[in-house]
Amino acid sequence: MLFLPELTLLGAGLIIFLVSLGKPDSGTVKNITIGLGAATLIAALMSFDQQGDLFFKSYRVDLFSQVFKILIAGAMLAVLIFGRKLTSIKKEIHPEYYLFLFSGVLGLMMLVSSVELLAIFVSLELSSFAVYIMVPMRDDSGKINFQMEAGAKYLLFGVMATGFMLFGMSYMYGLTGSTHLDVIVKGLSTMYNQPAAVVAIMMVLAGFFYKLAIFPFHFWVPDVYEGAANETTAFIASVPKLAAVALLIRLISMVSAEGHTIVNLLKVCSVLSMFYGNLSALVQKDLKRMLGFSGIAHAGFVLLGLLTFQTTGYANALYYIAGYAVMNLACFLVICTVAKDGENVLIEDLSGLHKRSPILALTLAIGLFALAGIPPFVGFMGKFYILVGALKQDYIYLVTLAAINTAIAIYYYLSVVRVTFCSNPENQDVVKTGMLTNATSIVLLIIIVAMGVEPQKFVDFAQMTIQSIM
Amino acid sequence: MSLLTLHNSLTTYLVIGALLFGIGIYGLITRRTVIGMLIASELMLAGASVNFMAFNRFTAPDPVVGQIFTLFIMAIAAAEAAIGLSIVVAIYRSYTSIDTEDLVKLKG
Repeated sequence: MLFLPELTLLGAGLIIFLVSLGKPDSGTVKNITIGLGAATLIAALMSFDQQGDLFFKSYRVDLFSQVFKILIAGAMLAVLIFGRKLTSIKKEIHPEYYLFLFSGVLGLMMLVSSVELLAIFVSLELSSFAVYIMVPMRDDSGKINFQMEAGAKYLLFGVMATGFMLFGMSYMYGLTGSTHLDVIVKGLSTMYNQPAAVVAIMMVLAGFFYKLAIFPFHFWVPDVYEGAANETTAFIASVPKLAAVALLIRLISMVSAEGHTIVNLLKVCSVLSMFYGNLSALVQKDLKRMLGFSGIAHAGFVLLGLLTFQTTGYANALYYIAGYAVMNLACFLVICTVAKDGENVLIEDLSGLHKRSPILALTLAIGLFALAGIPPFVGFMGKFYILVGALKQDYIYLVTLAAINTAIAIYYYLSVVRVTFCSNPENQDVVKTGMLTNATSIVLLIIIVAMGVEPQKFVDFAQMTIQSIM
Repeated sequence: MSLLTLHNSLTTYLVIGALLFGIGIYGLITRRTVIGMLIASELMLAGASVNFMAFNRFTAPDPVVGQIFTLFIMAIAAAEAAIGLSIVVAIYRSYTSIDTEDLVKLKG
């Protein structure tokens, strides 16, 4: 039972592999994958209250990991449902694509449970390698042929981040003589101001900064978002970030607010990612690129929550990233549905969407309002809690800069909403949405509103979750 | 420390590891072809492996973990090279070049 969600995913991968051996039509593949995705979510829900250690204590199942597994499984199911047409991947390789998707999610689920350096490294690479392959799988028979370039950039930056992380891990192992996080945290807590420990911690964090796209490991984001298929981008933009935050929470407890060098470095990273993301997003014409840059800015906010080094701050970061995943999925649902042939969606392509498809326009508007941080949606409450938490730690400069960034962000989010609602469709077709897509978008909207209206319950639950690992 | 005992000190190996890592980063930044960058990235991983082996030999209480870690790094580096080279083949098919100066359709 402890390993049930992972086993389900592994089984799902095997079933998809068997399917890929035959010549299935895409409808069958679609139904099978959605079924398997739902099975994974059910398995994650069933093993919610499990606790225990596996594999010589390098794999821990606790409330923290189970919550993240449910989030990951839910986000994956949403991507599978609204990306079920998979228009920008060739029909023959649909099963292979799903095989890599399931193994990537398997890696992420294992990542949130790993409490040992080797386990972290192996599961991180499992999840990364799957996504490295998914990016260049976009159909290249049309006019789009830059997906290979995106894949190469993603791989090379990823390899560099892995190198940094491994080098840091080797110092951690040398300093503490163990690869178990518990021992490492205890060992490093007496020497986090020494140069070797600072280098080790920063280098290991770099590996996860890359996954979460925090400055200075964000360079892959715009190109990969633009080059990858819409469905792949939806996956990359939401699911790995959840796991990256989980690991950052586990790792950052190695430092405390007294480790001045590290704290200052993290502050700089946080502020620079906010400014870089928001200022670059202002001039984007491609909607996916814009969301990519905005993702960098949001990652800066998450880091601000982690920087408080308090249980409440970690809980706020968890609440924020869960909300971010939902808002982002709502926006990508619209992108995937509007792009009929899997092309990239420019912002002007959305003109008059309120007439062409009211439900999509509503989803996009609420998703963007939430991302911009407008009440009563989850994005506002998440930002509010994080800023209040940072203010309690006397990070007055950081809070001011973050507030300025929120103001910048509103401009580019709302200009997309303006195009959607305040312009008329010029000979653009009506967008057809299926039942399943409508249902998914309504569920996502309900979550966005519910998390924004009743934030305290969710934050309290997040705090309980965090306390299970402290 | 005399020259003859150099092989038996932790510092020597840490310096070698750091040098390999530094050469790897330098290569990743300056190389102009994707394959060159992949080779440079392997050097970074090799630097980390040397560190693990050195700590394993000189300081660790349980002198197995570092070796196992190094074995895993080697296996994963091989998988990564396979993926990297397959992407290089795909790039060559659509660009007929693996020079990074030609891979500029996306303006990151």
